[in-house]
Amino acid sequence: MTAIDPLHLFGSLVGSAAWPALRLVLHLAFFIAACVVLWRAWAWLRLTELRPAVGADGWLSWPLLVLTAAFLAVLGYQASWQLTGLFRPQFVAFMQSHDRREFNPAHRILRGRILDRHGRILAQSRELEGRVWRVYPFGPAFAHTVGYSDPRFGAIGAEAAANAQLNGATPQTLASWGELGRQLLTKTKQPRGQDLTLTLDSELQLLALQRLGERLGTVVLLRPKDGAVLVLANSPAFDPNRLGPELFRGPSPGTPLLNRATQGLYPPGSVFKVVMAAQAIEAGFSGTLNCPAEGFTTSRRYPPIRDHDYYSAQKAGRAWSGFGNLDLTTAFAESSNVFFAQLGVRYGRDAFARTGERFAFDRQVRLYPGTDRYGNLSTGRLPRLAPTDLYGLAQASIGQGRVLASPMHLATIAAAVANGGLAMRPRLLVQEPAASLGQYMTVQTAARLAGMMRKVVTQGTGRGINDAGLAIAGKTGTAESLRGAPHSWFIGFAPAGDPMLAVVVLVEHGGFGSSVAAPIARDLLVKALELRVGP
Amino acid sequence: MSAACADTGFAATWFRRRAERELLLACLGCMALGFVLILGAEVTQGRQLGALDLLPLALYGLALAGVHLLLVVAGFRGDQVLTATVAFLSGFGLLAQYRMGDFHNDPGALTLGLVPAGFFVMTACALAFADGRYRVLARGLWFWAGLSLVLVAALLVTGQRFRGAVYALGFTTPTEVLKVTIPLALAAYLERQGPALARWHPRLPLPPWRALWLLLTLFAVLIGLLALQRDLGMMLILGLAFLVVLVSGTGRSGYLVWGLLAGTGLGALMLTFFEHGQRRIEAWLDPFQDPTDEGWQILQGLSGMYAGGLWGEGFGIGSPEYTPIAAADFIYSVIGEELGFLGCVVLVLFFLILLSREIALAGPGRCAFGRLLAAGLTTVLAVQTLLNIGGATKSIPLTGTTLPFISHGGASLLTAFAAVGLLLAISDGAPARPAKPSRATRGRAVGGPPADLKPRKVRGKAVPREAAAPSEA
Repeated sequence: MTAIDPLHLFGSLVGSAAWPALRLVLHLAFFIAACVVLWRAWAWLRLTELRPAVGADGWLSWPLLVLTAAFLAVLGYQASWQLTGLFRPQFVAFMQSHDRREFNPAHRILRGRILDRHGRILAQSRELEGRVWRVYPFGPAFAHTVGYSDPRFGAIGAEAAANAQLNGATPQTLASWGELGRQLLTKTKQPRGQDLTLTLDSELQLLALQRLGERLGTVVLLRPKDGAVLVLANSPAFDPNRLGPELFRGPSPGTPLLNRATQGLYPPGSVFKVVMAAQAIEAGFSGTLNCPAEGFTTSRRYPPIRDHDYYSAQKAGRAWSGFGNLDLTTAFAESSNVFFAQLGVRYGRDAFARTGERFAFDRQVRLYPGTDRYGNLSTGRLPRLAPTDLYGLAQASIGQGRVLASPMHLATIAAAVANGGLAMRPRLLVQEPAASLGQYMTVQTAARLAGMMRKVVTQGTGRGINDAGLAIAGKTGTAESLRGAPHSWFIGFAPAGDPMLAVVVLVEHGGFGSSVAAPIARDLLVKALELRVGP
Repeated sequence: MSAACADTGFAATWFRRRAERELLLACLGCMALGFVLILGAEVTQGRQLGALDLLPLALYGLALAGVHLLLVVAGFRGDQVLTATVAFLSGFGLLAQYRMGDFHNDPGALTLGLVPAGFFVMTACALAFADGRYRVLARGLWFWAGLSLVLVAALLVTGQRFRGAVYALGFTTPTEVLKVTIPLALAAYLERQGPALARWHPRLPLPPWRALWLLLTLFAVLIGLLALQRDLGMMLILGLAFLVVLVSGTGRSGYLVWGLLAGTGLGALMLTFFEHGQRRIEAWLDPFQDPTDEGWQILQGLSGMYAGGLWGEGFGIGSPEYTPIAAADFIYSVIGEELGFLGCVVLVLFFLILLSREIALAGPGRCAFGRLLAAGLTTVLAVQTLLNIGGATKSIPLTGTTLPFISHGGASLLTAFAAVGLLLAISDGAPARPAKPSRATRGRAVGGPPADLKPRKVRGKAVPREAAAPSEA
C-alpha cells in the first residue's frame, strides 16, 4: 500500500502537540453538531404534522408538560450536585477521600487558610507534586481549635465547622460569585477557598503552652465583653500534621485527642465558691457563720468538712483554733470550706439546683456553627441530690463530690462576674457575632462579687500573685481528685477596675491553686495586657 | 394500494422524506465527531487502531442509510422526526458503549450487530404494520397476555439471581419484552372492553368490578411475579402504563386515583417485607450514612458528574470505571462526566422530542387501538427514562432500570427499537384509500411543507375522525 494510511495519520495527529487544542475544538464541534440536530429536529417537528392531523395543541399537551416538568426537576437536582456540589460539604469530603478521578476539582481545592487574630497562619494548603496537602505550621499548639482535615480521618474543629467556607463554597461578595462562575466555565479549575480568621492570639497561646510545659492541663483566656477566646491551650495535644490510626485507637496516655478546655469535666473545688457566693448575695445573706476548727458535718456518720488551714496546721504539728465567726467576704477570701458547706445546706437543694440552672450547668453550648458534637462546650454536671442527702449538698457547695465543670465554663463564670453578670457565649470565629449565654447574676451581685474576688488576690489565698503592677481579681481552687494530688485551679479577670480579660488555668494534679495555677494566670494576663488585646 | 397514487412514486417519496434524510445525515456527522474524539482518547492511552475500529461507525452509517432507503422505497408515509430522534439516541448510546470498552476485547458479531439489528427490527415493524395493518395485533390479545405471564414465570423458575435481580441464561433479561407485549395486551383489551369499563357506579366513585375483575386479576398475578423477582423498576413501568392506558381507554380519571392509592399501599407493603428495598431507600435518603458500601455507587456516579462540570472532560477522557456497573444503570452519569451538564441537557431534550412525538400519536384522530397502544408504549418509555435518570442523579431511589437506547443490554435495546417501530406504524395512519380523491391536490404542496403531512387537515375534514378506522381488518 503506497497510499498514506489514514489511521496512521490519525495516530500521528493524536501524538502531536496540536492534539489537546484540536480535542477541545472537536469537543465543541460535537456539541454544536448535536445542537444542530436538535434545532433541525425541532424545526421539522413544527413543520410536519402527524397524520391524521391532530389538534393545534397536539404537541403541547398536558402529558408533555408534566413530563417536561419532571425532566426539568431532575436536571435541576442534578445541577445541584454537578455544578454546585461545592455547597455540599459532605459530598466534597467524600470526593476528597474516595474519588480516584485525578481531574476531579475537589482534589485540587486549595482550602482557605486558617488565621489567628493577627493574621498568623495556623493552617494552610500547599500543592506538592500535583496533590494538595494541609499544613499546620504550629503543629499541636492549635490542634483542638483548628482541628484537622484529612482524607482518611475526616475533619474536626474549625476545619469541619467552616468546611464549606474553606472549600470556597460560601460566596458572599459579588466577586466570589464571579470566581465560582469562572471555575464552572473554565477547565483550569482550581477552586480556592476563603480564609477563616479565629479569635485566637498565637503569641499568648504559645506562652500559655510554654508555661504549662509537660504538665497536663488547660489555659483559657477570653474577652468578657464579647466572648472572643484568645487562648485555648490544652496539654497534651496531637499533631495534625502527623495523624495516624493509633491516635484514634482507644484511650491513650494523656488522652491527646481530648479538648480538655471544652470537653474535660473536672471537680472545680473552691473555684465553685464563686457560684455559691453569688447565690448567697442574691438571697440577701448578711452576718456571720461560725467556722470552728473541728469542721462541719450534717451527720455523725460522715467525716466533717474542714478547712485547708486545719490540715496544714496538722501537718506542721501546730494547733489551729479555727476561723471563728466569718462574714461572706472574709470566708471567700480565705476560701473557708466550713463556711460554704454550711451556706449551701442553709439554702437547700432547690436553691442549689436553681443556681446551677442559672449558671448554665448541664448544657451543651455550640462553639462553632454547625452541629459537630466534638466542637461543643460541655458546661458541667451538677448532681441531682435526694432531699435527705444534706451531706452531698454540703460537699457540692464546696465544689467537691459529684460537681463537675469544664474549664471553659468556669472561664465564662469569671467573665460574667467581670461583665456585670452577663455571660457571653465563647466564640472562636471572628465572623460570628457575639451572643449572650445568659445573665448568671444581677449587676449588683456581680459588682460585689468582683470586689470579693479582688480581695482574694490582695488579702486572701491569691496573695502570691499580687506583686505585679496589675490589679487581678480571682479565685484559687485546690480540688481533691480521686487519684493523686489535687487539681490546681485559678479563675479570674483583670484589670479589676475595668475588666478586659478573663482567665482560667487548670493544672491536673498540680497541687495548690495559689502556687501552681495562679502564677500562670498572672503571667498570661500581664503579657496579654502588655499586648493591648482590645476588641 | 398506495403505490397506485401518483405522489407515492420513488421520486415523490424521496422528496417527501427529505426531513428524515437531513436529520439522519446530521446525526451521522455528529456521531462521527464523537467517534473521532473517543478514538483520539484511546490512542493517547496507547491503543493501536486497526481498520476494525471503524466498523461500529460504518455499520451505524449503513444502518441509517438502510432504514431511510427502505422507508422511501416502501413509500412509507409515517413520521420522520421519530426515526431521526431514535437514530440520534442510539448513536449516542453506541458511542457511550464503545467508550465503555464494549467493542474492545472481542468485537463479536453480536455486539457489533446490535444497533443495526435494532434499526432492522424497527423498520420491519414499521413497514409490516404500516397502513393500518397494526390493528391486526389487537386480535392477539390473549397471546400477548399469555406470552407476558409465561415469560415472567419461566424466568422466575429457570433464572439465576445476581445483584438482587433475576437473569436468564447468558445474563439476558427476557422480561424486557414485556415493555411491548403488555402495552399491546392492554390496548387490545381496552379497545374491546373500554365502554364497559367506563360505566362506573352512578353515585359512588366505584369502578365496574364485574368488567374489571379479569383484567385486575391477570395484572395482579403479573405484578406479583415481578415482585418475587424484585424487579421494582419493571413493576413501576408496567403499573403506570396500565393506569395510563386504562384512563385513556375509558376517559375515567378515577382509575388513576384508585391505581395510585393501590400502588402506594403496595409499595409500603413491599418495603416492609423486602429489606433490599429498605436499604435502597436509606442509601437514597442519606448516602453519606454508609458512603463506602450502600452509597458507593451513587456517590461515585455523582462524583464523576461533579468532575465533569458544565462542559465535561471530553468523550473518552473520563474515568467511569470507578462507578460500578456504569455501562448499564449509570450510563447517564458517564455522559455527565464526559460531556458535562450540557451533554445531559442535550440528551434530555432529545428524549423530550421523542416523547412529544409519541404523545401526539396517542392523541385523538386515530383508531382506539392505535391511540391506546401509543399511550402505553409512550408511558413505558417515559417512565423508564425518568427512573433511570432520576436514579443516577439521586432524585429518586435506584430501581435498576436501563436508559432506553443508551444503556448496555441487548434485550432492552431491541425492545425499545421494536416499540418505536410500532409507533412509526401507528404514525402511518389508517389505510389511504378513503382519501384518494383529495390526494390529487397534493402536487401543490411541493416546495411547501412536507407533503406527506400537510394536507392532513383536508383529509380530516373530508373524512370524519372515527371513520379513519374502518372495519377493513
